[in-house]
Amino acid sequence: MRLKIIRLITGGLFGFIAAGLFYTQVIQGEYFFRLSVNNRIRVVPMEGWRGQIKDRSGKVLADNRLSYDVMVTPQEIGDATGLFRFLGETLGVKEQAIARRYGRKKNAPFAPVVIAQDVSKEEAIVIEENKYRFPSLFVQESYRRFYPLGENSAHVLGYVGKMSVAQRDRFREYGYSMESVVGYSGVEEYYDNYLRGKEGGLQIEVNSRGQQVRLLGFRESQKGQDITLTIDSEVQQDVIELLADRAGVVIIMDMDSGEILGMTSSPGFDPNIFVGSRDPGEINRIFADPLAPAINRAITGLFPPGSVFKVIMAIAGLDTKKIIPSTSFVCPGFYQLRKAVFRCTHVHGTQDLIGALAHSCNVYFYNVGLLLGVDAINHYARLMGLGEKISIDLPYEQSGSVPSREQRRLEGRGGWHAGDTLNLSIGQGEVQVTPLQLVRLMTLVARNGWIVQPHVIKAVGETAVDKFTDERKVKIDEEVLETVRKGLRGAVADGEGTARVIGDLPDLYVAGKTGTAQTSGGKKNHAWFAGYAKGEVRNIAFCVLLEHGGSSYNACLLAKDLLMRMKEKKIL
Amino acid sequence: MGRGLEKKIWLYTISIMIIGLIALYSASFENVRVSRQVFYDQLGCAVLGLILMYVISRLDYRHFYDFAYIIYALNVLLLFFVLVSGRHALGARRWIDIAGINFQPSEVTKVAVIFLLARYFSKRRPRFLFDIIGKMEVILMEIIFPLFLVGLSLGLIFKQPDLGTAIVVFGIFVTMLFAGGFKVRYVLGFLGVVVAMVPFGWHFLKGYQKDRLLVFLNPNIDPLGAGYTVIQSKIAVGSGQIFGKGWFAGTQTQLNFLPERHTDFIFSVIGEEWGLVGALTLIYCYYQLINCGLDVARQLKDKFAMLVAVGVVSILILQVVINIGMVMGLFPVVGLTLPLVSYGRTSFLAFTIMIGFLLGLNKRRTVF
Repeated sequence: MRLKIIRLITGGLFGFIAAGLFYTQVIQGEYFFRLSVNNRIRVVPMEGWRGQIKDRSGKVLADNRLSYDVMVTPQEIGDATGLFRFLGETLGVKEQAIARRYGRKKNAPFAPVVIAQDVSKEEAIVIEENKYRFPSLFVQESYRRFYPLGENSAHVLGYVGKMSVAQRDRFREYGYSMESVVGYSGVEEYYDNYLRGKEGGLQIEVNSRGQQVRLLGFRESQKGQDITLTIDSEVQQDVIELLADRAGVVIIMDMDSGEILGMTSSPGFDPNIFVGSRDPGEINRIFADPLAPAINRAITGLFPPGSVFKVIMAIAGLDTKKIIPSTSFVCPGFYQLRKAVFRCTHVHGTQDLIGALAHSCNVYFYNVGLLLGVDAINHYARLMGLGEKISIDLPYEQSGSVPSREQRRLEGRGGWHAGDTLNLSIGQGEVQVTPLQLVRLMTLVARNGWIVQPHVIKAVGETAVDKFTDERKVKIDEEVLETVRKGLRGAVADGEGTARVIGDLPDLYVAGKTGTAQTSGGKKNHAWFAGYAKGEVRNIAFCVLLEHGGSSYNACLLAKDLLMRMKEKKIL
Repeated sequence: MGRGLEKKIWLYTISIMIIGLIALYSASFENVRVSRQVFYDQLGCAVLGLILMYVISRLDYRHFYDFAYIIYALNVLLLFFVLVSGRHALGARRWIDIAGINFQPSEVTKVAVIFLLARYFSKRRPRFLFDIIGKMEVILMEIIFPLFLVGLSLGLIFKQPDLGTAIVVFGIFVTMLFAGGFKVRYVLGFLGVVVAMVPFGWHFLKGYQKDRLLVFLNPNIDPLGAGYTVIQSKIAVGSGQIFGKGWFAGTQTQLNFLPERHTDFIFSVIGEEWGLVGALTLIYCYYQLINCGLDVARQLKDKFAMLVAVGVVSILILQVVINIGMVMGLFPVVGLTLPLVSYGRTSFLAFTIMIGFLLGLNKRRTVF
């Protein structure tokens, strides 16, 4: 009985399917056949606009502006010569050039060909007014990326461009197509997923000659999400003015939250060039420039830290109890290791640790280095985060490197020598850091071992991003860090300190370490000043690097000017 | 009659396989996404499947009665394993590798559920004296507890996510509940409760599953995305008209308009190239195979065996109807294969095994 019912239901279901087939293939068959033979359905994609990028106060750093593109629909072209002559006169281009471009880009009768991109409003109006003469002609409004502040924060923002073939193959599954505009470097790349709009498009029915017959469907494109950064564009502007045309890096980070207030790499570039430049040579010039303006030196540049590395030496010495704060060494202005002589900057005489940090005495740290040995130095440098990525939310971060015995051996360059330890002790030789790593080092010292995650994103749309709020404690004795802080303060406050040019600033506590890193090839030294400042509004850690900038005095001077400007603006 | 029934099952099974292979040969011909290899793969599967069918039909099904619960428990473990470490494809975790062979445990679930329920529903349970307690106990023991058991794997499959298989497993449950002699008003009541809960289920669906359901209601809301496949497959089927465009002549098929045409959407290839005639031939074969299954079930005295037969039949019905319905745009796209036709090793072999069972149950009847 029940099986009979199942049999009946089965019969009903199969009858339903058969009826459906009959309806689709016989009654509607003619219609579907036509759709398929005329082959049939084409998709015309329409780009959604990208979200805006704003600085911490809401000022727009990356925007979209209307642009006018001149289009021609091939299937309605009619009098081609007349059309090209008209366009040539209006746009001030040769008639033949336009005809050539049209011939090259034309691929389907219904698909409009872009004759000229981003024409001026006046030209667009002239063309629209003449539309009655040339029915195939129209002006399409589209949105283009626009960076109102130009160079300001360019490295943090990155830029946009058409997707490359390799990228398209990699990202096709995620809905990207060849014509998609995607972010390159900076926030534009790192947060592309949020920023990019959702592509919409038209699905049209076309006949066998490819001419549009009617619209089958339409999906509206959607705007991407806006992103708010932790960057303060006014600080960035000050940094750009202070750096002037010098190569270098300035990073300013709120050391209690990890928010990057400023990150400027110099020389910079204007990201607008990548979007709508009529001169392709401009882009090539950026990439061919030996100073590499497209590189964000703050996270991608690798530099020897020079004397800033002594902070790590001091921590390592104290934490391993090889030295105590009152341990003193005599500096006669040089250190003799067998037959080799290692120089110091001055004759410092007897120095204790705090004095040695304040005066940046090389001889003191040569001694500390020999007490520690390369293994202990490597251990502490890694503990302080050197040689590994900070994982800031920007692409192309470098990890830098800290030399070790093992590395030497693996690379087949023989053993580690005492002379190498001396070089490492003052941050020379093979140790390489990114400026951002030194900012984190300063945070670590200033906050008793507590470090924060540096980041540039503050909010996506209206939602504040809070995934970077975790703090982590690096295990170092707090008394050790207290001693090091005295040394760093000494550099600024001591009458003989290497950063004494900064001196006492009103309502601002500044401490830091200078560095003058030697470079090869007869170029000038790199000038460093990395430190922290506690103001009334917030506490910051910062790093100033002038590439081949000579003495660290220059870096200190820039830091002082910048801190004073920030104080004036009540940012500190 | 007995031997005749057996012969008919072999005949229709092999016919369906041949139709499938013909379609697959054409579907993989100019395909930019898969190579000809899928055809030879499937051919190998067909040979292996027929051998499996024969071997299983010689086994004593009573062994499966003994192992029913263990098989099911193993299956749940496998499904769990898939979620933890399965292979991703097209946004879902459905595949795992065991000893170098990758397969889809959710296909195995269908078989395991059949045995579980057949054994469970074939047992007699004592009844309480008081009617009111008795009723509650009946509902508890006959619906809620087995549903909980099935729900274990149902939930895991749903999470993969594989909505299609989840629907089929649920369908098996209802069919077997009904065939097990359970009171019709309880079955209907139970269905009523489930239907009432459907709107709440909406929240458990993944974004793309919601898209597909909305697109089913109106394909034109998303002609570039989720609606694309449905529009294209409808055009393919419809344009075949009565006699079809001929082998290798389907423009939709050969011009790569149809995604997934070698797997879930293979029916659109048959519809386009062989027209109504070809499509109805295939459907007729399925219908006859199902009827043979029901004949087997009718002639069986053993309740366990009868329930296994009904279970196998119910899977066939559900997958055939839902798959063809979705290709024609009559049902939402849920990702189910067309039995013995769609490309996919696990699914294909699972069906040969199930039909093997049908034959085996049939044999026992003729021997005794």
